[in-house]
Amino acid sequence: MKCMRATGLLTAALCLLLSSAVTAGDPEAGKIKASTCMGCHGIEGLTNAYPTFRVPRLGGQHAEYLVDAMQAYKEGRREHPAMRANMANLSEQDMRDIAAWFAAESRD
Amino acid sequence: MKSVIAATSLLLLAISSSLQAADLKAAEALAGEQCAACHGPTGVSQNPEWPIIAGQHADYLARTLRQYRSGEREDPLMQGIAAGLSDEDIRNLSAWYARQDGLKTKQY
Repeated sequence: MKCMRATGLLTAALCLLLSSAVTAGDPEAGKIKASTCMGCHGIEGLTNAYPTFRVPRLGGQHAEYLVDAMQAYKEGRREHPAMRANMANLSEQDMRDIAAWFAAESRD
Repeated sequence: MKSVIAATSLLLLAISSSLQAADLKAAEALAGEQCAACHGPTGVSQNPEWPIIAGQHADYLARTLRQYRSGEREDPLMQGIAAGLSDEDIRNLSAWYARQDGLKTKQY
């Protein structure tokens, strides 16, 4: 009985550990996954064509907000053809990693 | 000749109004009333659900506010606030937030 309780506790601890490992963003992984993003968001002052506006700055933005924005594009709640296409194949973990990379203090 | 003068003055008028300097004092007051509660006193929000807007490109901010005002972009809070903003308010707020210290272009 004691043994079962200990096993249950261990399992719970392991589950907690695993779930946090899945949800936390890894900026190093995000740096690699963000290579496509950086083609536009990594160039200061680059303009979007039709309509014309400068591509938003993301360095230092809240990771949570960035994940929400990426999901909104993926689900079509926010519209931008290129953003929607680029989000289509990203997993939740990819988004968290990319968000962690952009949120980490910019060197610029 | 008369029509040339008329056309020239119209053109000058159009240029001068598009180049009109933003009223940063008015923007600061309006930002304090309408935006600061969520986005922070200078646009650096403390709640990660709400974006940092300090240092964002002015034209991107203006486009975003116009999208909320027209309903093209949906958010109950932002649509309500943007509905009360004039074109001049949007231009002033965008210019003011763009000048605050915050977001940067992330670079490799």
